[in-house]
Amino acid sequence: MSEAGLADLVGVTISVITNDGRNIVGTLKGYDQATNVILDDCHERVYSTKTGVEQLVLGLYVIRGDNIAVVGEVDDELDSQIDLGQISAAPLKPLAH
Amino acid sequence: MLPLLLLKTAQGHPVLVELKNGETYNGHMVQCDSWMNVHLREVICTSKDGDRFWRMPETKIRGNTIKYLRVPDEVIDKVKEDSFKRDEKRPNVARGRGRGRAVGGRESGPGGRGGGRSVPGAPARGRGRGRGE
Amino acid sequence: MLFYSYFKTLKGKEVTVELKNDLAITGTMHSVDQYLNIKLNNTRVVNEQKYPHMMSVRNCFIRGSVVRYVQLPPGSVDTEILHDATRREARGG
Repeated sequence: MSEAGLADLVGVTISVITNDGRNIVGTLKGYDQATNVILDDCHERVYSTKTGVEQLVLGLYVIRGDNIAVVGEVDDELDSQIDLGQISAAPLKPLAH
Repeated sequence: MLPLLLLKTAQGHPVLVELKNGETYNGHMVQCDSWMNVHLREVICTSKDGDRFWRMPETKIRGNTIKYLRVPDEVIDKVKEDSFKRDEKRPNVARGRGRGRAVGGRESGPGGRGGGRSVPGAPARGRGRGRGE
Repeated sequence: MLFYSYFKTLKGKEVTVELKNDLAITGTMHSVDQYLNIKLNNTRVVNEQKYPHMMSVRNCFIRGSVVRYVQLPPGSVDTEILHDATRREARGG
């Protein structure tokens, strides 16, 4: 296993939580020292208290590192078991401070 | 693959840039540098709430104000091509692929691809951050 | 460097990282780097009812700049070593 870095996540489906509270899921194609990332085939999962999760297709994105809070490795098997349409929650808060 | 290499490859393509303040800029990427500063042409700026628009011929955006960029899907394949071609041509000294900046070109100087030709008498107005009322 | 060195000693321990967006993630410390970015394994979000956003994530990378607190297992703090390291750091060595 490598040191803290995103090397072992390249080519894998990841879920990025941004500082403004958005959740973007896609394939990690590349990254750099500043945690800038390339996400291919990505979509946003929009959480709401009124309806289930809605997915917006975004495409190919470069997300700037200083706008990234968390990069999570999506367990595809777990993910396929989740019925996003049934999940309802407030969007994450934007980063404070 | 490095994010900045992808952005370099996106030169000449339409991109969408969202800033940390929520404004978005749609335009053709003329050039970008290693700080992610970005130069766009034929720009439409949209306010945070999406209800006001400004057109401007040209905009330069400081990299550290950017939240993310959206790039056309096909650009990622061109990156591969580019690096492949570059490796292929390694032994030859002179390459100078295409005009303008591309990957290993000289630095500095105005204009990216075909600048000045496609925009005769390049308008000096409308740079900056589109704060118009 | 002190906190970098210190966090490295927590590898394999279970910690809870609270972020500046109030999300708290519990997991096994896998690694840390010079920016204090943290990688956790076997993660679970605290209060998953309210924060289902990471339900299918079991390993994650947390950017150091968004960390508010790292909650440590009580037994894992060797204050003697920490005192020594702090003095050494203060002396510039």
